[in-house]
Amino acid sequence: MAAAISAAAAHAQSPDPRSAAVIVTGGEATTPIPTLMEGPAANVANLEVADHLFLRLANLGPELITSGDRSFVPQLAKSWTRRDSVTLAFDLDERAQWHDGVPVTARDVLFTFERARNPAIAPRLAELLRRIASVTAESDRRVVFRFSRPYGEQLYDAVWHVAPLPAHLLEGIPPEQLRQSSFAGNPVGDGPYRWVRSVPGQFIELAANERFFLGRPGIDRLVVRTASDADARMNLVLSREADAMDNILPPLTNLERMAGDKDVRLIPVPSPTLGFLLFNQRDPADTSRPHPILADREVRRAIILSLDRGLLVRAVYGPYGEVPYGPASAILWIRHGTPKPAGLDRAQASRLLSSRGWKDSDGDGVLDRNGLPLRLTLNFPASSAARRQMALLVQQQLRQVGIEVVLQQFEFPLWTEHRNAGRFDIDFSATSQDPSPSGLTQGWSCGGGTNAAHYCSLTVDSLMQVAIGSSDHAREAWHTVLRRIEDDAPAAFMYAPSYVYAVNRRFGNVTIRPESSWLLLWKWTTGAPAARRTAGY
Amino acid sequence: MVTLAIALVLIFILMRLAPGDPLARLSEDRPLTPAQVVALRARFGLDRPVGAQFVSFVGALAHGDLGTSIQYGRPVIALVSERIPATLLLGGTVLLLNFTVGVWLGVRQASRRGGAEDTALTLLSLSAYATPSFWLGLVLAWLVGVKWHLLPAAGMEDPLLDPAAGWLAHAADVGRHLVLPALTLSIVSIAGTMRYQRSAMLEVLRLPYMVTASAKGLPERAVIWRHAWRNAFFPVLTLFGLWLPILVTGSVFVESVFAWPGLGSLAVGAVGYRDYPLLMGSSLLVAAVVVTASLVSDLAYAFLDPRVRLS
Repeated sequence: MAAAISAAAAHAQSPDPRSAAVIVTGGEATTPIPTLMEGPAANVANLEVADHLFLRLANLGPELITSGDRSFVPQLAKSWTRRDSVTLAFDLDERAQWHDGVPVTARDVLFTFERARNPAIAPRLAELLRRIASVTAESDRRVVFRFSRPYGEQLYDAVWHVAPLPAHLLEGIPPEQLRQSSFAGNPVGDGPYRWVRSVPGQFIELAANERFFLGRPGIDRLVVRTASDADARMNLVLSREADAMDNILPPLTNLERMAGDKDVRLIPVPSPTLGFLLFNQRDPADTSRPHPILADREVRRAIILSLDRGLLVRAVYGPYGEVPYGPASAILWIRHGTPKPAGLDRAQASRLLSSRGWKDSDGDGVLDRNGLPLRLTLNFPASSAARRQMALLVQQQLRQVGIEVVLQQFEFPLWTEHRNAGRFDIDFSATSQDPSPSGLTQGWSCGGGTNAAHYCSLTVDSLMQVAIGSSDHAREAWHTVLRRIEDDAPAAFMYAPSYVYAVNRRFGNVTIRPESSWLLLWKWTTGAPAARRTAGY
Repeated sequence: MVTLAIALVLIFILMRLAPGDPLARLSEDRPLTPAQVVALRARFGLDRPVGAQFVSFVGALAHGDLGTSIQYGRPVIALVSERIPATLLLGGTVLLLNFTVGVWLGVRQASRRGGAEDTALTLLSLSAYATPSFWLGLVLAWLVGVKWHLLPAAGMEDPLLDPAAGWLAHAADVGRHLVLPALTLSIVSIAGTMRYQRSAMLEVLRLPYMVTASAKGLPERAVIWRHAWRNAFFPVLTLFGLWLPILVTGSVFVESVFAWPGLGSLAVGAVGYRDYPLLMGSSLLVAAVVVTASLVSDLAYAFLDPRVRLS
């Protein structure tokens, strides 16, 4: 009976498993449609599936430089021309077609940007596209973008945040009904893969777009499986039920486990994640007052110098992480050419603390000043194994210079609540950054929306505005910003990891992009004999 | 209905009392600006007083609307409906195994009381009962799925199975995926039923009418199954009402380890996200299951035991 069932199942397998790829991810894509990826739907899972279905005007180049007009790769737009400091004209590739065979035209671009720039329809996109003054068509294939002022990331804003939608299918659907429309359940795009089906909670199946004008995808069938548990994802890859997975999470034993399989290739990719110890500049008990300990920049610097951040990163991420200089994750192009972050210097840390009056007057091993012990709470979310492990090591290292750290582990929503309310001394934060450095204003400018620690430097604010406006010397301008932030020490920037992907060796030409993991999967090839195991079932 | 109404009020109040921001996790992938947070609060009605939220929830519930999930941005009723079949399949299989294998082994143990088989089964059942199901799940997935490649390590179906394949192929596929999670949950739950059934049987086997049955010359099988077990099953039947909700909610870790797309993992995700609408929907469903299971259990008791019917 069992043999018969196995035979029936094996017989029904895809006739040529080599022509299929199964990737397993932690999140489930529910609405992978541009302009609908708002609020809860603005997650990595949706964005990554949308990248298979919908084509942007252009993609970021290999160095991920978001400033200027030169470092982009043509996609839907075959070329672009700068007319003046606030005008860009794009010529669409006449070969581009929607999956239903209708050509992609300027009408589609106009339709999409009209919706995307409407805060009532897409508030997140409207905010990102706020500097675009108008989008007009000069012909069926030429679109002209005008910007409200000159700045370095005009092209990036025009091409990156939203991919065009098929106007001919959506014009009759009111924006508020799009989410419930048949299009949302069966999206029609113009990308390398077309929609086949979705099995909620389990997987999404896509098929190669054989008419894709940039080249036929090397893999016929693409399945994006969902498994929220990290062990389940690894098991699926190791049992050959999946071909690839993203971001093998710490601890390092997980990496060792995956590396032990000779058929699996580990591929480290710079990640958008940045982890940092955020120093609260305000008193958690009364946020109108400065923090009694951490308002002092020299104390913050002393804390940074007391930490062997390189050791901490190696302990948690092994070779797949580095200590960042300033708030720049490994995905940000501005990190190239920055100075080396400050290393461990306990002697200098002690001198700094001593110069600010911190002494161990009662011999209990903890520094104090005017009866106030140098005791700080460190909040972190229980859901992050990396931060939990690192927090313990931070506690040990700071103890050696007489700083007592009280660890406070919270469930994620509770941790966020404390953070947003400013109820912390030190918060072990982590953020996921966009490729654009202009996002730094959110966390590190005086009025930044995610600036929970109330760090405020008018100099940094002004330097950031200069850097955002700069085109030719943007890198230097951003380096000045990073240097200034490092000087102010609003946080100890702890880790900028690489995500380690596991991919079956049967695939060739494998490229994983930091800004969108599977963006170039359509260029992967399958050459080696199928390794997909069906033994026993 | 009264029980459900009380459950509804309690669940609503307890959820609102729990600390944590329902929008917290939405900023995990992409940080939200304060303006976006304000807009989202308005969209999900979180900016209104708790009393007003409750009234509108009950009003919508009366029309069969459980609201929209904060985490998924989809109607809760659709999400829950999608997950119910997987939960019923897994829970139903475990219940079936539980009340067939567990009862059979429990009876077998009691009828061989003190023997080597009874001792061995006692040791086994106690060991199984003490085994954490999530650990057992991890071990089985690794050993059977990864190491030996005998069964799928996770998921509910093979995504590469041709959708046009016949129902037998699909059923076989789901069956193969079902084995490990069902086994993981069953091993632990069967042990409990075995112990319960063994005790109940021993109580009955001591009664004088059992001696009469044996003295009449009835075969042992008839004595055990027809005369003893029929009376010893009633206490075990009450377990049914208790096991059902546990199998819906208690399979969370197993669902997670095996990527089984059931209601348990959906509910736990909702707790982590403070996804009030989804949490309300799934909790109400579990409450309804508990009430229904208790009712079914009581009715079955009355149907099977004439004494209860008469009283």
